Amino acid sequence: MKKLISIFVLLVSFAFTSNSYSKTEIHWWYGNSGFLGDVIIEIANRFNESQDEYMVIPTGKGSYEDNMAATIAAFRAGDQPHYSQVYDAGAAIMVAQVKNGVVIGFEEMAEKYGIDVDADNYIPGIKNFYADGDGKMIGVPFNSSTCLMYANMDILNEVGIEEVPKTYEEFEGMAQKILDAGYIPLLQSHSPWIWTENFFSRHNLLMTDGNNGYDAVPTKTLFAETEAFVYHWTKVKEWYEKGWYGYKGRAWGDNQAPFTNGEAAFWFGSAASFGGMKGVLPNFTTNPIPYWDSVTGGKEYPTFIGGAANWILNGHTEEEYKGLAKFIEFMGSPEMDLYYHNMTGYAAVTKGGIELAETINFYRASPYHKAVGDQLGLEGSTIPGGYRAGNWPQIREVIYENVEPMLNGDITVEKALSNMDKGAEKLLKQFAKTL
Amino acid sequence: MKKVQFKSYYSQYFFLAPQLLILLIFLYWPIIQTFKDAFTMQDAFGFGSQFAGFDNFLFIFSDPSYYTAFKFTIIYSFVITLITGSIGLLLAVQANKVMHGKSAYKTLLIWPYAIAPAVVGVMANYFFSERYGLLHHLFNNLWGFNWYENVFDAYIYVIIAGSWKQISANFIFFLAGLQAIQKTVIEASIIDCKSNIRRFWTITFPLLMPTTFFLIIINITYAFFDTFGIIDTTTIGAPGSETKTLVYKAYIDGFKGLDLGSAGAQSIMMMIIVLVITIFQFRYIEGKIHYN
Repeated sequence: MKKLISIFVLLVSFAFTSNSYSKTEIHWWYGNSGFLGDVIIEIANRFNESQDEYMVIPTGKGSYEDNMAATIAAFRAGDQPHYSQVYDAGAAIMVAQVKNGVVIGFEEMAEKYGIDVDADNYIPGIKNFYADGDGKMIGVPFNSSTCLMYANMDILNEVGIEEVPKTYEEFEGMAQKILDAGYIPLLQSHSPWIWTENFFSRHNLLMTDGNNGYDAVPTKTLFAETEAFVYHWTKVKEWYEKGWYGYKGRAWGDNQAPFTNGEAAFWFGSAASFGGMKGVLPNFTTNPIPYWDSVTGGKEYPTFIGGAANWILNGHTEEEYKGLAKFIEFMGSPEMDLYYHNMTGYAAVTKGGIELAETINFYRASPYHKAVGDQLGLEGSTIPGGYRAGNWPQIREVIYENVEPMLNGDITVEKALSNMDKGAEKLLKQFAKTL
Repeated sequence: MKKVQFKSYYSQYFFLAPQLLILLIFLYWPIIQTFKDAFTMQDAFGFGSQFAGFDNFLFIFSDPSYYTAFKFTIIYSFVITLITGSIGLLLAVQANKVMHGKSAYKTLLIWPYAIAPAVVGVMANYFFSERYGLLHHLFNNLWGFNWYENVFDAYIYVIIAGSWKQISANFIFFLAGLQAIQKTVIEASIIDCKSNIRRFWTITFPLLMPTTFFLIIINITYAFFDTFGIIDTTTIGAPGSETKTLVYKAYIDGFKGLDLGSAGAQSIMMMIIVLVITIFQFRYIEGKIHYN
């Protein structure tokens, strides 16, 4: 009996201690894990230490897809967090939810609760990616990456290649030499993201009708009818057959591993991938992704923003939103922006952060970080800086499903691309019905 | 049998309530929701919900990868049932003969059953890894194994991963079935027939039929529903969508693609398929089985 009483007393005292914490809690869900997840926790900790009124509680939900599914399930159960990280492929879904009162746009939030960071303080390309049709920023830019080319300089030196390739034509000129030396010339970790979505942006080509969905709800993708895209995959298949390009399945890490282990000369991955390579691979560089000289006529265009943004979810108290506004302000400060840029390799998303980086000569100290800003900062594109296409996670799946039979020769390149179009068209139409 | 009568009319409901409540919340409620999802078109957050008739069903039937998943699921459940059943039976028959260290064999053979499918998948992942996988190297030396792009190789991968643990389940039930066979029957048959193999097929195996029938159903449901974790940790459906089971496809469309309508329609199709298979088995196969 004594034992029972003491347990009871203990429980009651616990209940009181947690109540005596009079801080307003703000829940932030995210879809990063490992090191990137640790950095998110660190950001929250720094904010919590910087003031006494509010407490941000970050919760990792697994992958981007997992976090999005968890956020939606929580919303449907009326138990949603205040702030949630949703990735690029889910942006169209989140922007569409403003009118249903699920998501509160950044600008509305800023107006109501006074966020001291202006939407224009975010880099235009990134701002536009998460904006609605009228250009109002909805999602709050956070971890913004893009695809980059990683090069193993030791292999290139050994083979006698002095400069990394700027174009795919240059790559073709050196691939056989690399292969002959016993290395895999090229690997990449995400066919839909790197060699589909960003193939179009890198070559200033429209990917869907309706101006990539910015002018009208898209009804079809332009894969098979874009000559350059057919050309690219025909070449990729050729490379694959010659051994110039090695496909290691869909898993991101399986394609990255040979590069990290020094078995491949080039690997296309995310700007945020270098953290895991630093200290493992002795001599590598980050470079802009190549383009087809024959397609762009020597011009270079920026790629889309990848990664994720944070989205403000409706249904909480005014006091909590005030705290969230403070937190958004905190994360948008030049110091925090640069801190995150430095730790993870994601792009600096605010003008203030970039200015600060320049003042302290950050890129001289860490050249790894430079390529992402260079590539995203390119000018001259006539296409929108993103795509607004619903059901995109499933369309990515359709792309994957057709890349594999194309590489192994079950279907031709033309057939694979028209299959992708057909699958995407159905999914886009399905999405249009729910609007 | 003694008949027990409840004094109060209500008390029986009181005792039934917890079980019924669990059934209602975890079984019937989700089923109703699934039907609702399958016949509505809605966005990921549940807005814009409107009655869609059979649109979601037409949508999945016009999807070539649905037929691929269907084909794979049928092949997969057939092969898994066959492999796990036959190896399980072989091991059970052999283990039943063992005189010394019987329980050690038994325990070791049953062990894998305790491992969760996802963990089995991760283990298989190591065996089939191109970088350090033993089986990958073995098969690669034999015929140039590459599951990333070769459908047959991918089948081998998921079939080995899916069978391994289920062999244990088959083993336990077959062993129990063998031990339930009366000694007298076996002894009498030894007098009549010398051939071990013939005795097995004419006496022992027919007596094991109830167990076999039960295991066929268990194995098919296992291959249909429980291999989800294995697919997700091994091939994730690649190459193409050749190794996606119906359940895995429903999961991808519903939770990664956030298309609940299509996922709901797929769930109902699965329910119908399992219903048909089970009815078929009970009507046509069970009639040939003698339980006593």
